[in-house]
Amino acid sequence: MAKEMLTGNAAAAWGVRLAEVDYIPAYPITPQTEIIETIAKWISDGEMDAGFVTMDSEHSMVTAAGAASATGARTFTTTSSQGLMYGFEMLFTVAGWRVPLVMVNVSRGLSAPITLGPDHNDILALRDTGFLQIHCETCQEVLDSVLMAYRLAEDDRVLLPLMVNMDGFFLSFTREAVEVPDVEKVRSFLPEYQPEHAFFRAGQPMAQGVAVLGGEFYSYFKYQMHLASQNALEVYREVSDDFERIFGRKYGTIDEYMMEDAEYVLVMTNSFSTLGKAAVKRARENGIKAGLLRPRFLRPFPEADIRNALKGKKAVAVIDQNISVGKGGIIYSEMASCLYNENSRPLMLSFIGGLGGKNISQEEFDLIFEKMIHAEDSGIVGLPHLLYTKKEWEGIKKLKEIAGRQ
Amino acid sequence: MLRLRFHGRGGQGAKVASRVLGSAAFLDGYNAQDFPLYGAERRGAPITAFTRISRDDILERGLVSQPDVVVVMDETLLSDPQSTPLSGLKKGGVVFVNTPLTPLETKEEYGIEDHVITLDITKISLDMIGKPVLSSLAAAVAAKVAGIGEKALRDALEKELSGIISERELLDRNTEAAIYCYNAVVPISIETTEKFREKENVISIPFETALVSSPSILSKGNTPLRRTGNWRIFRPVWDYDACTKCMTCVARCPEGCIQLNEDGYPYTDYANCKGCLICAEECPVGAISKVRESHSQTEEEDQ
Ligand code: SF4
Ligand code: SF4
Repeated sequence: MAKEMLTGNAAAAWGVRLAEVDYIPAYPITPQTEIIETIAKWISDGEMDAGFVTMDSEHSMVTAAGAASATGARTFTTTSSQGLMYGFEMLFTVAGWRVPLVMVNVSRGLSAPITLGPDHNDILALRDTGFLQIHCETCQEVLDSVLMAYRLAEDDRVLLPLMVNMDGFFLSFTREAVEVPDVEKVRSFLPEYQPEHAFFRAGQPMAQGVAVLGGEFYSYFKYQMHLASQNALEVYREVSDDFERIFGRKYGTIDEYMMEDAEYVLVMTNSFSTLGKAAVKRARENGIKAGLLRPRFLRPFPEADIRNALKGKKAVAVIDQNISVGKGGIIYSEMASCLYNENSRPLMLSFIGGLGGKNISQEEFDLIFEKMIHAEDSGIVGLPHLLYTKKEWEGIKKLKEIAGRQ
Repeated sequence: MLRLRFHGRGGQGAKVASRVLGSAAFLDGYNAQDFPLYGAERRGAPITAFTRISRDDILERGLVSQPDVVVVMDETLLSDPQSTPLSGLKKGGVVFVNTPLTPLETKEEYGIEDHVITLDITKISLDMIGKPVLSSLAAAVAAKVAGIGEKALRDALEKELSGIISERELLDRNTEAAIYCYNAVVPISIETTEKFREKENVISIPFETALVSSPSILSKGNTPLRRTGNWRIFRPVWDYDACTKCMTCVARCPEGCIQLNEDGYPYTDYANCKGCLICAEECPVGAISKVRESHSQTEEEDQ
């Protein structure tokens, strides 16, 4: 088991190769293309044994992937931002088929205006589809999560598709040291898929994706998906224990950084959490008992683990790298609803930061800690705040001038 | 932590340079991270790439705004208003410039106060490899400045280049040229202090009507403001004694920037010629030569 320098994209491709996936339908889109290129090259060089097909759009790609998954083939596909939106309709459909398809989404801000940098409105638009979601901070975590994803999705108690998310550019094009496990170990963790639940066989005709025409039938099937998704939290415990035993790396449903005696907690997801951890370290040097909680799973939402981690904390600041227009931060709402019925619960502040890959500066983190402490002292929680600096404001003024908008 | 920033033009190999350095640092026992940043542009446009090297965990992501070391792979970038390669350089930091000038001349020419190292890696690359591919050479210079060992650099070159260069002989020439550059740079110790950071003021942004705040452009005809002429690394120069006025170059220029002078000879608009050199490739009599750009010449002749 050697470490090497890999981009997040290459790490995802390694996960797919080690999971010995059978079939990959693909359609390229920046900043994900490298995953597909890497896999295509391995297949053409004979280093990976899988079927590979380029499709004419993400809509057909997701359809092909779901259909293949329904035959019992271990299937993978990947996309990003606009591509994910283009395949959106089929994501609900595929989840309703109850197939263990694993996808990677490489997050990128959605148009309009067009940008390239990462934020999470693309992946969070999926939160009601039935796909499970794992969000990653490091390239190693991307590789490891792809392996865990198949174990979890293929479990009889779950059988739902799963999306592994990483940030475009900040992870997808960033290289760092990643341990590539050897295939024998992976096989002991992730055995060959034995589909009890595969449908399409030449000698075994059946119908899939049928009409039920009746709310009472429809409700049953939908709620079963919800129950299966909830099961995933329990099943994941087994999966992550096995993973730790075999590979020595531990991943909970949430990641806790300096949380033990923390009073003021940042909540962040994905690669920007690294910046949050640095901010927590700086705050600790200034005598603030800071910590960071990073939900890895957003579906199913790990409510119990979050409640437990936030017990006794003074204040929590959720930094949403997304915006639900007309409401605010998506994860803030989810966190708040998860704590609402607790007898004693921390104050909760909402910040929007890092949209389209915007940097979050030291001063912005400082402000967040200041506001948390002020809220704790005064009992008054301010309005949701878009993190933005004066210098950035000067920049947008200049841009508007050039565009003739002033 | 040592933070290095490479500045090159699309096609010069800044991304590969940052990767070779990242791998070299990793193979030398450091934690490393590397990352390229390219926008929606192409060959010739300024691009940057970054490498972070540290004994500790690297709790940073994204671009490096306050580098300890800046590697300028193309001298013309120093006077390119879109590039500003020296911005954010820390006090006590090091600037490497690919130029035939001496460090002293470079400092004077560009008004640089920081420690400057120079080496004409374009010339070395042309002499030793046969074409101006700068990635391994720039990585070698950076590795030396960063104090990375020669063995780690060699291994990193082997690892990173073998994926891109299939010819063994070409790969060896690359390595040889890189090691030559590595040895040509005198080792230095970098002692940077955090640059005085302009404190960011966090603000709340106000509502503005959609007339102002929707992302559309009302002003017309601003494309000429963006002079793509400064993307050139080499410029085409016509030899009218050899030119037969066949018009091939005029027809083949993808930018449509070749016109005819009063005598019927072709000339190009250097403010917009991107230096793709298709004209030079296509000219049947070899009347167009490739001349290396340096900043002063660009500015004067463009007027
Ligand atoms: S190098 Fe030649 S072909 Fe290319 S843009 Fe300039 S004039 Fe046109
Ligand atoms: S292609 Fe060569 S010979 Fe023909 S017009 Fe251009 S410079 Fe002259």
